[in-house]
Amino acid sequence: MQALNLPTRTVSPRGHRSLRERLARQGWIFSAPAFFIIAGITIFPILFSIFMSLNNISLTYSGFKFQWTGMSNYSLVWSNSLFQYALGFTIIYTLITVTVELILGMGVALVLHKLAYGRGFLLAILLLPWALITAISAEMWSFIYNGVYGVLNAVVMGLGLVNHLVIWLGTPVLAIASTMVADIWKTTPFVAIILFAGLQMISSEIFEAASIDGAGAWQTFWRITLPLLKPTLLVALLFRTLQAFGVFDLPFVLTGGGPGHATESLAILSYQVLFEDLSFGPGAAIATSTTLIVMAVAFVFLRVFRVQVGDSESSA
Amino acid sequence: METLNCKGAIELRTRHVMLLASGSLLLTATVSGFSPGGLVRSPAALKKPVTIVWYASPITDTGVRKTMIQAFERAHPKIRVHLNTAPTNTDTMRSTLTTAISGGATSPDIFMGDVIWPAQFGHNDLALPLSKYLPKSFWTRFAPGLVKGASYQGTVYGAPFFMDAGFLYYRKDLLTKAHLPVPKTWPQLVKEAKLLQKRKLVKFGYVWQGADYEGLTCDWMEVMTDAGGSVFNKNYSKVTIDSPQSVRALKFLRSLITSHISPAAETTFEEPQAMNVFDAGNAAFLRNWDYAWSNSNDPKDSKVVGKVGVAPLPTFPGQKRPGYSCIGGWDVYVNPHSKHLAQDLTFIKWITGRQAQTILATKFSEIPTNYAVQKDPAVQKLNPVLKTVHNVRLISRPSGSPVYPAVSQAIYSNLNAALAGTVSPAQALKAAERQIHAAVSKKGL
Repeated sequence: MQALNLPTRTVSPRGHRSLRERLARQGWIFSAPAFFIIAGITIFPILFSIFMSLNNISLTYSGFKFQWTGMSNYSLVWSNSLFQYALGFTIIYTLITVTVELILGMGVALVLHKLAYGRGFLLAILLLPWALITAISAEMWSFIYNGVYGVLNAVVMGLGLVNHLVIWLGTPVLAIASTMVADIWKTTPFVAIILFAGLQMISSEIFEAASIDGAGAWQTFWRITLPLLKPTLLVALLFRTLQAFGVFDLPFVLTGGGPGHATESLAILSYQVLFEDLSFGPGAAIATSTTLIVMAVAFVFLRVFRVQVGDSESSA
Repeated sequence: METLNCKGAIELRTRHVMLLASGSLLLTATVSGFSPGGLVRSPAALKKPVTIVWYASPITDTGVRKTMIQAFERAHPKIRVHLNTAPTNTDTMRSTLTTAISGGATSPDIFMGDVIWPAQFGHNDLALPLSKYLPKSFWTRFAPGLVKGASYQGTVYGAPFFMDAGFLYYRKDLLTKAHLPVPKTWPQLVKEAKLLQKRKLVKFGYVWQGADYEGLTCDWMEVMTDAGGSVFNKNYSKVTIDSPQSVRALKFLRSLITSHISPAAETTFEEPQAMNVFDAGNAAFLRNWDYAWSNSNDPKDSKVVGKVGVAPLPTFPGQKRPGYSCIGGWDVYVNPHSKHLAQDLTFIKWITGRQAQTILATKFSEIPTNYAVQKDPAVQKLNPVLKTVHNVRLISRPSGSPVYPAVSQAIYSNLNAALAGTVSPAQALKAAERQIHAAVSKKGL
């Protein structure tokens, strides 16, 4: 990357090209081992799962037996109501949790940024939910939500908000909301820390200049903090979206995808289809579809990202 | 400043694409056939003790497997058994096994597996067809119905290792106090539960398994069969779950919740949650498996030690008594790629034989599959569950279908929604029938 950014060097066009060629060749040689390892552990499985998704697969004594069926697994999957529901659930889950996490995370980051003392301590505490293994925190939340002995019921009943036990994970709407709350609790700190890092990188001179020019806090936030934080914000957004779209462990432990199929994400559905039903073709089609959707989302974000960086550059 | 951010962002971007690629396809990567290598032995090693690998979950007591292995190795000094511990979650265990065996792994040689696996494992060549290797005389040792349950299309794939069934546990002390008999029918259970609740003797009447998981299918099989319903017709050619009998059974289960005989949280109860309520002294009746006897009599976990009785499950009035009990338990299967077939079969013969099955019953109070041991008076007097098991009427889940997991999912997810009240019992059963039909005709996922 850096070597390619040396156009200022005064070499003849010919010499320049040969230097570039040499550097390029060296680059390839140095990166080849890494490339092959990455190819082995990512590209091969990707291609293989795409191949699987295009076949009718049966298990036999001598392993998988493939029978080419083209797109039929995809039409089976996309026309299936369980898949459609899981897709809808995953999209809504991602939209809501990521939005709330970004707003809360931003708030926490701004507070952290303003703090003069105790920042390290707070950061450490903040990291706890994020550092906990999701399966364990999900198990913890299932105790909190427990319909008979759960702490949450004790709290809401103690406050007089309800007068009967609430079955937090027993009905679809409540179960979805409860899962989202657990997710937000766990990942808001992550967003906060990324944004906090972004805030630290903004030069304090800019804020000083703003206050000298008489800008209020609100104005400073919208006109200075937010635009300058945009790249970081989008990194957090991208990270969280990709993670939320692949959500598996939290609903798997907390609700098992239930009640009914209410909290069944795409990842849980593909796990069930692949490993419980052993329908490898359709399962691979779900996995591949999910990957393609995530990639599309990622590319859209990256595009937006670049445009906005350009904007903030020209405006600055 | 911005340029700095911009550069960082570009680096992050490339890294992201890679992360994304590796992360989101992790699931499929596992399918591609990476498998733990098997133990390959040279012919020269045959004279030395042969080691076979047994993949088994900790059952209810982690000591069971080790005790078994020690006794086996004493009886067969030429064979060593290496224990590989499997996860306690049945589905996780199945994923691990299917991934390994479909990839051609020769290890484990033997694995413990759920009683509902034979069709799926037989259909997909994931288990050795044992009846082709063991004589007819071998299979007569098992209690009636068990071999059929371990078969798929006439071939036996698993050797029944220990069995389980649904039982009704009740509070002896409460029934005595209220001068009530042990209920023989569901309406009787409802009446007694209401009475005990009204007299403030107990918080809840009856706890069972109503969560969105396999356990609900078990509880369902019992009540549905009591009502005269079925999931399939006899030869699995027709889905029959959406029937008036089923509607009656499901309405009954839902009414337990609406009339507060069962807690509202019933729809999230698996075995441990129901067990906890009963152990805490908060329920008069409990539907659970064999282990609930020792669990409710363990002073460490239970406040009702010595106050618990066990009986076959009730049924609906006018039906043959007692009610149906769902068959649970575990079989022992052989990996079709195993290199130690002779030793595997020796192990299977031994572990289903008198000595092993007696250890299982006497030391660990598991229900033996060996009929002679099951009938042994010395075993029967050990605990009331072992005594009751003869009187229960068994029903197996519709696991003769190779797509059983999808069938069961269609049952428990729709039923769970009806129990929670989000759909009506009739709607839930219609949806279940539709989904089972789709699964069987390969039109489902």
